[in-house]
Amino acid sequence: MVLKIFFPQCCNRADSGLLVGRWVPGFDSVVVLAVIHYPFIPGQVKKYLSEMQSAIQLELTVLGSWSMPKDGQEGMDSFLKDLSTIFPQGRWLQLSRELGKRGFACQVIGRDAAVPPRGQPKEGGDDEKEKVIFIHYDQRKVMLSHLHPAHGQEPAAEGVSELRLVFQTVAQSQPLFFLDKYDDGPIKLTHWQSEGREASILVELIKQASVPMCCVLLRATGVRVTGSWRVLNMWPVRFVSSKLSTCVQLSHRTEHLQTISSPRRAQQHADFMRKANIFVSFLVDIALGLLLISWLYRENRIGRLANTLVPVADHVAKELQELLQWLMGAPAGLKMNRALDQVLGRFFLYHIHLWISYIHLLSPFIEMILWYVGLSACLGLTFALSVVSDIVALLTFHIYCFYVYGARIYCLKIYGLSSLWRLFRGKKWNVLRQRVDSCSYDLDQLFIGTLLFTILLFLLPTTALYYLVFTLLRLGVVLLQGFIHLMIDIINSFPLFAGGLRLFRPYRLAEGVKFKVLCEEPGMSLHLMMEINPLKLSTAVQQYRIPTYSCYPKDSWAALCKKLFVGDLIYPWTPLHKGSKED
Amino acid sequence: MFCFDNTFSAVSEKIIFFELILDNMEDLEGGDPDWKEYVHGTDMLDMKLEDIMAMGADGGSEAAPATPWRKVLYERQPFPDNYVDSRFLEELRRNVGVRRYRYCAVAREAGLVAQQVSCVAAVLTLWSYMAQGRLSPFMLLGASLLCALLGYVLYEALGGPRGSERTRWADLQSAAIFLAFTFGFSPILKTLTESVSTDTVYAMSAVMLLAHLVSFPYAQPSPPGSLSLNAALFGSVCLASRLPGALHAFAMLTCALLVFALWPCLLHRLRNRAPWTFPWAAVLLSLAAVTGLATLSLGGALLLVLALLALTLLCPLLLLRLQRHKDNIHGPWDEAEIHEDLSRFLH
Repeated sequence: MVLKIFFPQCCNRADSGLLVGRWVPGFDSVVVLAVIHYPFIPGQVKKYLSEMQSAIQLELTVLGSWSMPKDGQEGMDSFLKDLSTIFPQGRWLQLSRELGKRGFACQVIGRDAAVPPRGQPKEGGDDEKEKVIFIHYDQRKVMLSHLHPAHGQEPAAEGVSELRLVFQTVAQSQPLFFLDKYDDGPIKLTHWQSEGREASILVELIKQASVPMCCVLLRATGVRVTGSWRVLNMWPVRFVSSKLSTCVQLSHRTEHLQTISSPRRAQQHADFMRKANIFVSFLVDIALGLLLISWLYRENRIGRLANTLVPVADHVAKELQELLQWLMGAPAGLKMNRALDQVLGRFFLYHIHLWISYIHLLSPFIEMILWYVGLSACLGLTFALSVVSDIVALLTFHIYCFYVYGARIYCLKIYGLSSLWRLFRGKKWNVLRQRVDSCSYDLDQLFIGTLLFTILLFLLPTTALYYLVFTLLRLGVVLLQGFIHLMIDIINSFPLFAGGLRLFRPYRLAEGVKFKVLCEEPGMSLHLMMEINPLKLSTAVQQYRIPTYSCYPKDSWAALCKKLFVGDLIYPWTPLHKGSKED
Repeated sequence: MFCFDNTFSAVSEKIIFFELILDNMEDLEGGDPDWKEYVHGTDMLDMKLEDIMAMGADGGSEAAPATPWRKVLYERQPFPDNYVDSRFLEELRRNVGVRRYRYCAVAREAGLVAQQVSCVAAVLTLWSYMAQGRLSPFMLLGASLLCALLGYVLYEALGGPRGSERTRWADLQSAAIFLAFTFGFSPILKTLTESVSTDTVYAMSAVMLLAHLVSFPYAQPSPPGSLSLNAALFGSVCLASRLPGALHAFAMLTCALLVFALWPCLLHRLRNRAPWTFPWAAVLLSLAAVTGLATLSLGGALLLVLALLALTLLCPLLLLRLQRHKDNIHGPWDEAEIHEDLSRFLH
């Protein structure tokens, strides 16, 4: 039966008075929140406490008395004993401290016990053989901190632990700390505010200004959202905009803005952290984007970029042409069917020719387009990166087309071959039973089937080679785009606010507590110092990641290889947008 | 009395350890009951267990017991469980289903195999002629079409059941489809194996034609087996792609189709309707193949003749000779065979 008393450090030197706090339900501990000084009127104290109780919704009570006689003051022991009758409690604590001594003396008076003798230096010595442990805590830090669930535990199954209740008590008692002992009023309290720590003016100003700004932002984004969605709901526009990563990023940021600009305060700690993270990353993003703009628009860099773009596209197209000429010959000594080779090669060459002429048509306008598009980087660095990704996709569009053609032809061929091979052996695929059954074919079916099988078999190497080459090219482009998307994703999702908080104010994100022994004298109670154990940086980052839209490919390597072998088209990323624009 | 029988053991002498449990063991107090008290002397009987059992059943007066042994499981008999009497294995039958072959009949049936081999040889000869340019594709095409027409007429003349779905119009449609497809694909077919080396092509064709011969449904050639027909066609396509022109390929493929797909149907009809013509047809075909091959290479012709003779004359002889060594045993332990015709449930 050990009674734990959580005592705030700021009250160590408080004048004598009444202890106000809360008995932690279910555990044998008590949290001291403040000390009310003499002189006071008990009726006003009770009224004040009931007001506080309705504001905080915690059971605040007068716990006991605190006596630290200064020089010249006499002990008020008898006065303190009588106080217990004014404020009837289950247990009444009587703490006293003498100047110069480190330890406290404590008496716990039960409701129906006789008045015990003074706290004599016995073995920890109070009545009912009850030991008392004093746990000192820094009230301001505990008030601001948020205790995270233990490692491996889900937040729903937190359970009611003692520490959690203590933290909750202190955090919820904020209205109690508004009145101070320096205020003019009937009640004079001592708590952490008495240490003289001032709040930052900047933070207060921002808090005041945030609500009207949020309303303005909400109205702005709301107008844009409702106005434009009717146009953008048409199918072609929606399809194109789901493929361009710029539009996806734009909608993602709009969602973020909506989250930040909701005028309601965040109730849960997780919501608050999320809002703060989004806000800070947004700001950093825009700052980086502005930096990029200021670098890019200097010294005519845009013009130089535009001038190199067309030659790069030409170079890519020329390389492709040479590749096709090589394929049309005897690539790597492989034996290709000449006729089919020529057909496919000419077909792809014609596509490249079309593409080059298109680029040349567009070349006078490229500088202007780039100039205006570069301006969009003021919306953030992520926008600039997604524009780059889109430009890469547009420049390599012909590779994508070739890949699709090659894959389709190859897929058809494989499918036809497998089906005709079954016909060759006299078997058929039973769709109902999902198995291969024997089947008696007609003469003409057999004849045409065998003919087609022979033709497809001998044309397989040619098609397979073209497919292989274009798939490799496509995979290269996909890798490049994937890298850019990874960067965008990192910028989008990294919780800068949580990281900064962990670095500069580590007590706000608590993983647990540590205890340090302050004073262990025989005969006096044990005094421990409770320090907050902050969350590990990696855990903090992982927990507060902003969810993003990108979804990495779900295929395992084996499934990917099988798809490549059979000729299915590979879609490397499918955005997670579930069409939630209409909300 | 205890008896340890060693007759069915492979070891002539044994040492046996045994435990003796008496009914009245708990009555004895003190000291282990010494089994030696209960054994008097070491008598050795030189008898088998059955004799003792036989003796013991009726006091040893007669040799045979009163009730004979019956082969039932449910009755407790005075015999041991593994007893067999003199009627052991009397239900064993040897070579019940062995057929007695006659040489002439077997040789006749073997003619079908020989005939098929000659077909393959004939097709190869024609291909070789076209590849060397000695045979013009038009001639081959014309001859094939003529033969097809004649064969069709013969087929109709022989009469017999025709499939309920096939009308003359359907036949004409099939023919049109064949010709159209082959003609349409012949340019593709010509260049199909251009880049494959000659040896590979020859090897593939040889394997495919061999597969055709092996998987041919000799018992009932009329609906042609899928694998055999497909293998033959695959082999012919491989060979046809080596010919100099698209028309050559077309002609070759038509000829192959005629020989491999349509000829077996006619042959089947001949065998059913006019069995006396069948051997003549086979002989004629073989002679044609041999002479054709002889104009190309004598060695090949000789080989073919040897093969045909072996197939037709030697193999039946071997079959008959080896029938003597058949030794199948049948008995009531065989798996049940259903001899009833279950097709009456289908109608």
